[in-house]
Amino acid sequence: MSAQEVCNLTLSGMVTDENGIALRGASVQLKRTILGAATSESGKFRFEKICPGSYTLVVQYLGYESFETFVVLDRNEELSINLQPDEIVLHEVIVADHAQVINRSNNAASLSAHQLAEVNGKSLGETLQNLSGVNSIQSGPAIFKPVIHGVHSQRILILNNGIRQEGQQWGAEHAPEIDPFIANNITVIKDAAAIKYGTDALGGVIVVTPAELPTDQKLGGKLHLIGNSNGRAGTISGLLEGGIKNLKGWGWRVQGTGRLSGDAHTPEYVLSNTGFREMNYSASVGHHTEKSGVEVFYSNFNTTVGILRGSVNESTADLAAAMNREVPANTSAFTYTINEPRQEVNHNLVKVNGHIKRAKNVYNLQYGLQINNRKEFDLRRGAALTALPALAYTLYTHTLDAERETAISDSHTRCVGLNGMVQDNNKLDGTQTLPFIPNFRNYSTGVFWIEKFSHRKTDYDIGLRYDFRHYQVAGFNFQNRLYKTQFGFGNVTATAGAAVKLSETTSLITNAGSAWRPPNVAELYSLGTHQSAAAIEYGLLLDEVTTQVKDIKNSGVAAEHALKWVNTIRHQKNKWQLEATAYVNYIFNYIYLQPRGITETGRGPFVYFRYTQTDASFTGVDASTQYELSNKFSVRASASLLRARDVTQKDFLIFIPSNRYDLSFRYESITINKSFFAQAKLKYVARQSRSPRVVSTAEILAAKEQGIDLFLQDSRNFDFLAAPEGYALLSVSTGLSVPVQNTKLDFRLSADNLANVRYREYTNRMRYFANETGRNVTVAVNLTF
Amino acid sequence: MLHIKLFTMKSQLKIFLGVALLSGVALLSGCDKDPEPENIPEEITKVVLTFTPAGGAPVVVEAVDPDLDGPQSIVIGSIALVANTNYTLTIEMFNGFYAPTDPEYKVTEEVEEEGAEHQLFFSWSDGVFSNPAGTGNIGATGTVNYTDSDENGLPVGLATTWTTGAATTGKSFRIMLKHQPQIKSSTSTSSDGESDLDITFPIGIN
Repeated sequence: MSAQEVCNLTLSGMVTDENGIALRGASVQLKRTILGAATSESGKFRFEKICPGSYTLVVQYLGYESFETFVVLDRNEELSINLQPDEIVLHEVIVADHAQVINRSNNAASLSAHQLAEVNGKSLGETLQNLSGVNSIQSGPAIFKPVIHGVHSQRILILNNGIRQEGQQWGAEHAPEIDPFIANNITVIKDAAAIKYGTDALGGVIVVTPAELPTDQKLGGKLHLIGNSNGRAGTISGLLEGGIKNLKGWGWRVQGTGRLSGDAHTPEYVLSNTGFREMNYSASVGHHTEKSGVEVFYSNFNTTVGILRGSVNESTADLAAAMNREVPANTSAFTYTINEPRQEVNHNLVKVNGHIKRAKNVYNLQYGLQINNRKEFDLRRGAALTALPALAYTLYTHTLDAERETAISDSHTRCVGLNGMVQDNNKLDGTQTLPFIPNFRNYSTGVFWIEKFSHRKTDYDIGLRYDFRHYQVAGFNFQNRLYKTQFGFGNVTATAGAAVKLSETTSLITNAGSAWRPPNVAELYSLGTHQSAAAIEYGLLLDEVTTQVKDIKNSGVAAEHALKWVNTIRHQKNKWQLEATAYVNYIFNYIYLQPRGITETGRGPFVYFRYTQTDASFTGVDASTQYELSNKFSVRASASLLRARDVTQKDFLIFIPSNRYDLSFRYESITINKSFFAQAKLKYVARQSRSPRVVSTAEILAAKEQGIDLFLQDSRNFDFLAAPEGYALLSVSTGLSVPVQNTKLDFRLSADNLANVRYREYTNRMRYFANETGRNVTVAVNLTF
Repeated sequence: MLHIKLFTMKSQLKIFLGVALLSGVALLSGCDKDPEPENIPEEITKVVLTFTPAGGAPVVVEAVDPDLDGPQSIVIGSIALVANTNYTLTIEMFNGFYAPTDPEYKVTEEVEEEGAEHQLFFSWSDGVFSNPAGTGNIGATGTVNYTDSDENGLPVGLATTWTTGAATTGKSFRIMLKHQPQIKSSTSTSSDGESDLDITFPIGIN
């Protein structure tokens, strides 16, 4: 009968958490078939055209125990699957990966492996923009720095495979050094609750999690091939994993990615020198038994990225000319060549971690070593100097984390631990420039305590930690004379959160937390100009009058403190689903660059900025709703609104993402031998109306000619140009997945900025000089075996 | 079977502690030497204009900015020339991060050597000079009497000639050094390339 067998059965269902709340993005797999999907917004999945037979269904979701059931299919089945959190029975592999940082009472959003596959080929920062409440500060088409609820750089903690990512994060044009292809899941925690990992999580935490290492001997792998029309870019990424013959419990994985892009282009012209090259690889091996595990992970990230040639300017007059040009200066024909200005960044991570389970306790220990090399090349006088980096640093970071998790009862866990970090930052000798930041070494230690418990229909978590950081600094002042100093900062972090089931259809997650961070060395001591910024920057501890470096004592410099309260409400009934997050983040001693005056140099007048402290507030709402029009059609709308204020100066802050909205329609059909989707998305980004005053370069130069310093008496924030107009972008994508023997093939075709709209984005530093990129068509083929 | 026993909990702990210990040793062996100061060859901390009349004493005017991008402003001298007189102007640039005996001290030589990617542009208040007439070639298309040239026969501007006009006070004289790698041509202007210098001197004609 098999040949004539009628394969027209449907297996569908819904995945919920222990409170009956839908879990979006849970992985649902039918074992020994290629059939797999991620659950929809409303927790639903659906496989169609299945032949009768018996199947094993596996459901997995980060932070929950995986669920397996045997289904004998002889008619259409609808399953209801209830996952249990793994905190009650600590699941060893998850513990090993330190992944349980994402609690049920966190306000979090994630991209599952399935969702990542639909956007792969993009950088980490660009990928994260698919989450509501997450934006980016851009420096041209290839450099994306993530922004959570309006704050970025050192106010966001990135956990790469359980290790705090440490690079030269002070620069708004320094993107995170992570290959998104290593991730099986990326989660953004929008509240300040990730207390386990130390200071700096004022805005939130980005958690990049690779898949668990395999424990069986079957060889598996993935191959991704992606091409983009804009930039004529190509990406190849591959992964191989398996176990080791005759060595039970051992698993390994190797992975690598290469990306190459030439100059991107706007609808009208080429963006010269915006190409990039990237070559990354990683390898891991681990051994797991019932009660223990040990893992070693190594990754290497390498990139060379160009910065728009037309953004180079050496004086305020150059800047004025550059901003007035319709097509940027030095725009030439498309090329893959990357000239100055450019960045060359290399990031290495070695991680060793282990855990042991003893009775009710699990002990975790992990050590990480990161070596970050950054070189920035600028246009300098003569070929010999141009060949030297204008800025070059090597940053070593050692981290050691130890913790004990105790299952006190089925509904109560406790985690205590300590963290240590040593950092060493050294300039590479021979740049032949005044170093922009000093050499430093810092020692940080922290201890924490976290309780999680459930009572009636509510999950609670509370946490407390203390951190201390000691700095030793040695740098050079404006006279190129050595200065040396040392100092320390210490403080307490606290958080409390609850997840309440209000009704069968509605749940509320609330979290209030404090967070702090010591000022970064760049904020304290930076001096001069750096890449493509026509402004001079001074650290908090530079004396404007004597040009000397001040002692931190009696300087009034304080650590940043944030109080963040985040509430998320989730509601779902039948075909409707709604999620809304409202937050307020008040940051005391917020450090920012304030315009302080004009300094006359041999290159003409410059506006100079000093790092200054103020109190700032960030309030906003992220909301999304989805309606299932039918089994296959769904419509989704979302909005992300934010208001940021400089409270002390009653002023606006610069580079704050404006309000944005999107509307998408999706058709999705999944059957045993084919899955298909097609999606259209319209995104509208409003003009940023809450932006600082505009003081044009022409006004600055004209006032200076009359001997007036516009900023001496009025140090409110300003911008050289008004915020650009709002814009709407249409994107479409479609994909098909089919089994071929024992492998799965995915094809994807998508087009971003389909209408080739000409626009500028307020949070892109390139907006002063050029339009954004035009239409980009992407073709991708993925092979999974 | 032996293999499995090899990797018990205790062995795993040993592996882990071993690696951690090795890393700790590597960490502590780092040294605490003071960083070496950088040589800073490309900066110009002093510009000297020398206006030499035929047979007379030269007029020397300086602009000095020892802290460069530091908050202290550049100090610019005033130019005082005699009316209706021919002058040769030579421009010298110095890098105060080096001792006067160091070859790097004289930036002028560097600009000369790389003349093919540098040009000085000038502008002045109307009437200050009778030759060249006009107001110069910064943001304008006026004439400047260049007397030097690069390997391609294009002007550099380290040497120029000027004839002053009638007596006047409170006027200005601006010099701009442009770095124009692969840009400099017979048609390139003061708005091409990046500014290495842009200084406006007060000028009076007696």
